[in-house]
Amino acid sequence: MNSTPLLSVRDLRVNFRMDKHTNFEALKGVSFDIPREQTVALVGESGSGKSVSSLAIMGLLPKENATVDPRSQVLYGGRDLLRLSGDEMRQLRGKEISMIFQDPMSSLNPVLSIGNQLNEILMLHMGLSARQAQERSIALLEEVGLPEPSRRINRYPFELSGGQQQRVMIAMAMACEPKLLIADEPTTALDVTIQKQIIELVDALRRKHGMAVLWISHDLAVVGEIADRVIVMRHGEIREEGTTRQIFESAKDRYTQALIQCRPPLDHRPLRLAVIDDFMADGTIMDSSKEEAVRGLSPNDEIVLEVKGLNKEFVSREGLFGKRVLRAVKDVSFTLPRGKTVGLVGESGSGKTTVGLTIMRLHEASSGEVLFMGQDLLKMSKKEQMPFKRRIQIIFQNPYASLNPRFVVGDILMEPMRIHGIGANDAEREKLARQLLERVGMPATSFGKYPHEFSGGQRQRVAVARALSMKPDVLICDESVSALDVSVQAQVLNMLQDLQEEFQMSYIFISHDLAVVKYISDEVIVMNQGEVVEIADSDEIYRNPQHAYTKKLLGSIPRGWHAH
Amino acid sequence: MSAFILRRLWQMIPTMLGVVLLVFFLFNFVGGDPAYLLAGKISNKEQIENIRTQLGINQPYYIQLWIFIKQILTGDFGVSWATNEPVSHIIATRIGPSLTVLVPILIIETIVAVLIALAVAYVRGSLTDRAIMVVCTMAMSVSLLVYIIVGQYVLAYKFSWFPVQGWGDSFAENLFKYSALPILLGVAVGLAPNTRLYRTFILDEINQDYVRTARAKGLSEHKVMLKHVLRNALIPIITNLMIYLPSLLIGHFLIERFFSIPGIGREVILAVERSDFPVIKAITVYVAAATMISNLLADLLYKAVDPRVKLK
Amino acid sequence: MNAASNASPVYQASPGLWTLAWRRLIADRVAMVSMAVVGAFLLLTLASGTGLIAENWNDEIAVGYAPPSIFGKPDISGRTKMSKHDDGAAVNAYPGTVKDPLAEDIAELKATLGGGTSASPSANTALDTKDDIDLGDGLKVVDPIGPEMAEILATTRMSTEQSRAESLLFGADKWGHDVIKKVIKGSETSIFVGFAAALVATLIGTLLGAVSGYYGGWIDDLLNWFYSIFTAIPYLLLILAIAAVLNQKGVMTIVLILGLTGWTGIYRLVRAEYIKHSTREYVQAADAIGASNARRMFVHIFPNVSHISLVQLSVHTVGFIKSEVILSFLGFGVPVDKVSWGSMLGEAQNELILGYWWQLAAATIAMAILVTAFSMFTDALRDALDPKIK
Repeated sequence: MNSTPLLSVRDLRVNFRMDKHTNFEALKGVSFDIPREQTVALVGESGSGKSVSSLAIMGLLPKENATVDPRSQVLYGGRDLLRLSGDEMRQLRGKEISMIFQDPMSSLNPVLSIGNQLNEILMLHMGLSARQAQERSIALLEEVGLPEPSRRINRYPFELSGGQQQRVMIAMAMACEPKLLIADEPTTALDVTIQKQIIELVDALRRKHGMAVLWISHDLAVVGEIADRVIVMRHGEIREEGTTRQIFESAKDRYTQALIQCRPPLDHRPLRLAVIDDFMADGTIMDSSKEEAVRGLSPNDEIVLEVKGLNKEFVSREGLFGKRVLRAVKDVSFTLPRGKTVGLVGESGSGKTTVGLTIMRLHEASSGEVLFMGQDLLKMSKKEQMPFKRRIQIIFQNPYASLNPRFVVGDILMEPMRIHGIGANDAEREKLARQLLERVGMPATSFGKYPHEFSGGQRQRVAVARALSMKPDVLICDESVSALDVSVQAQVLNMLQDLQEEFQMSYIFISHDLAVVKYISDEVIVMNQGEVVEIADSDEIYRNPQHAYTKKLLGSIPRGWHAH
Repeated sequence: MSAFILRRLWQMIPTMLGVVLLVFFLFNFVGGDPAYLLAGKISNKEQIENIRTQLGINQPYYIQLWIFIKQILTGDFGVSWATNEPVSHIIATRIGPSLTVLVPILIIETIVAVLIALAVAYVRGSLTDRAIMVVCTMAMSVSLLVYIIVGQYVLAYKFSWFPVQGWGDSFAENLFKYSALPILLGVAVGLAPNTRLYRTFILDEINQDYVRTARAKGLSEHKVMLKHVLRNALIPIITNLMIYLPSLLIGHFLIERFFSIPGIGREVILAVERSDFPVIKAITVYVAAATMISNLLADLLYKAVDPRVKLK
Repeated sequence: MNAASNASPVYQASPGLWTLAWRRLIADRVAMVSMAVVGAFLLLTLASGTGLIAENWNDEIAVGYAPPSIFGKPDISGRTKMSKHDDGAAVNAYPGTVKDPLAEDIAELKATLGGGTSASPSANTALDTKDDIDLGDGLKVVDPIGPEMAEILATTRMSTEQSRAESLLFGADKWGHDVIKKVIKGSETSIFVGFAAALVATLIGTLLGAVSGYYGGWIDDLLNWFYSIFTAIPYLLLILAIAAVLNQKGVMTIVLILGLTGWTGIYRLVRAEYIKHSTREYVQAADAIGASNARRMFVHIFPNVSHISLVQLSVHTVGFIKSEVILSFLGFGVPVDKVSWGSMLGEAQNELILGYWWQLAAATIAMAILVTAFSMFTDALRDALDPKIK
């Protein structure tokens, strides 16, 4: 086998011009090799520069504001890709180096049929006629596992599911049998069961066609499943590079160690999750992994909330008189004890978020009961419900959308207190608000600041403080940590656990992420297509799943590196 | 498809009813008693009463409304108060000249504006781009009246390149001789605003993920622009075309007036000047119906451009 | 309440989004220049509106069609001849210089016989000298001294012209009004109409759009019905129809016509924004904490969509200035005693054929400068308020 690497990146530096005066150094001198026929993973949190690296290799950086340093080189087949002319680069793109992206829906042209988009690349690089291209396209779709390819080839992207769309993207990338496939977070937008299929597909294609893969991800667990070598990046620099085994078993860099430790493990439950700061600060690393937290329900628990036979239908008008009924939630029942966490887990379309919104009456239920301390919330008039409103609160997924951008943090916290008459006057409310900010670990100066001045994690803390301002009994966390980087996620999870202990709140924790749900929940409810398929103690469900769907879900969790 | 068209026609009924009510309200309540207008400078009570009976305005309102609806359905709006010409005849004979000018303006302008917008979007951010945009902004700030007045004066009156005004009997003569300057000016008026708008539509598409995919495939920039970007930008362009059609009519009214083209627009202005209510009412109702039909056509056009549009 | 805010030592309010947008705006050179130009026009409008300048625009200070001297001394030989063969209308433009002794009687006679619409004698003085009324049956009201009187008036006019300026910096119109003063006065009318109508349209559009987008359901259906009616009839046609039935001219009339028919675009945009925002998580969060519908609509959502209304106010001001010009040109706009850019263009249309281009040029240039500056300002405003750039 040829020992020279397929592609070598040397001292790659990329600058983005943000406005007239500010530049952002996205890459500060990055060098790495991609060996032939191997999978190299670039791992990092947001802002690490991993995606910028891939775009630089492809020559797809936005011309308007990105500049590549003249010292930088991307060597491929004896040529420096950064010095190639536009035409020379186009000859390579899609033919020898191809790429798939995070969001397959938006990455496919919505108004062209998938056949059209596939044929295009075959006709361009392989010189096939339209007819030959069509035949080859069908074969490609067959190879990537799209069912009924000869029928689906005339379909448009919106008519396919997310997983099928990504398969089409892969078929397009494989069309000319490239030497290198760059996969930029190709499974992040997909459900965990689909993620597993895509990972397996890419790996199978790599072996079959003998190509190299550059896999970019924020998720070390995914990377551990597929990569031969791992490169960990942070803030535009490489922190550590090595074989997957080295990285997972004997990481030297503290940041790499932190990344591995921050993810909630599946096999045990540490009292607290490690956070980046523990590692990055010099000194001893808090080794809490030995001490286990105990979760689980007991029959003596006081029941705060009881959901009985909850149904939610969405009716959409179709045609002149017709209508279409979508049953999003089917007959869901569960109980929530005081001070405990019930996890709702499922893939997209499982109805888990709708359950949360219906309990809050942000959607009106079609039928069923939600008993809060024995009183049915769903039967109350809006006015009767008012005193109960503050007692069930919710934290949403997207910290960028859940805070009003025109309110300062102080107003965000004081508004609910004013509405519910908490605190005698504004002075008292302000005092309370400041205490809350301190409690969720925000500096006192944040009181007068606007949401846009904070990071995602900080915003999520503000959202938690807002909920706390009403002293709720029940807190619904709807994918509340899903949009956060893994290190920030750990901090917020730790905080939520502390707050639960302190205020004896009950949580309904909704997430697609089984590891997180398992870590924080006492009881787990698995939902699929609006139905509850299994309810069990959280340790029990992972040890001994009963339902086939639960088993499938658990089997799809990427478990990081394990000796093959 | 035909089910879709039928359903859309069905949906037009409430809107059409609304238009009828609005026009009825305007002319029968706000407008005051037309008998005085009609009777002219000298009239006595008897004459006025006579006219009132003829018009049916001393009947209850619901009867008047029924008369109006009947007029719309039968297309018989009576005769013009000013010329005694049957209103239906006025409309039938004025549509042809209007379309002779309007359709070429619409087609030429759209094609030229899209082409310029594509070219400008291709060199986005460059000096050329910025210069063209500034020129467009300035061109948009000159009243369309000035385009027409000066254009007619310079090109027809001064240089005699075109006839100053006129209209003949042969279609070819009308289109190539008499409509040439009106079409040219119509296109000139609309070019700047449309180029600007289409450029933003195209720029919106250029930043989409699928364009990055197309580049990652190794397609040339031309192919990316003409196949991938344009195809998607056509969707907002068609929407805009429909929104823009009414304002195209405004310029068109004026053009007809200046060039004495015997079309709908000139007829409306004349009718308003003469308080010729039957003509205004008829034209308003029929143009509204035409606008709705053209919106329906736009929906069908959407289907051709965007597969996501479902016609059921 | 006040004590509370005073008692907070660490309270440091950050600049809000409006402040940030304002900073972006004033950092933009194009925006600053265009703002200065628009500001200058607004000052001019204010000054002329309060009578500080151009109040005497109606004075006939120069000979008819006095040429502009701004480009150097114009050749004024042959002026007398020119003004003589002008047209009849000029003759009638000097009421009061020499009084037609029969004018009042004749007007009255015509009024009675013609059953005309309450033509007051004074209004018709000396205007209808040639316009004999045919009463049918071969009867005519004839002004016995009409032709002679016209001649007398013409001579008088020639003599008065001697005391008038032969040329003005920016020229004069048919009656000898100073064009620059007319332009200033016209700016006042056009800017006032444009801005006031845009204000009306924006208020209606924003309010209806907010209600429609927020509540949805039958309210939305109803308002959408209104919207579909107003958009089914081409804008100008609707305005013309209203102008035809109203049959009365006035600045406020035209403001109302433009405003009441021009809200549809704003309605559509604001409605779409409200639909988008009402499902946003921050609004759901407001619902969750118990904020009322009104509070969510106006306290929470409105500040997040108000920039759209502001930009639309700006866009529509420009649009209505243009519309006013067209309406006044057609004679359906401002009343005859008011001057607007549109009425100036209306006069200029005929002047151009005779070679008198200056009134056209003055009105066009004034409008072009204002509208260009206003459009560039609008663009800058849009960019500065764009929530994508944060």
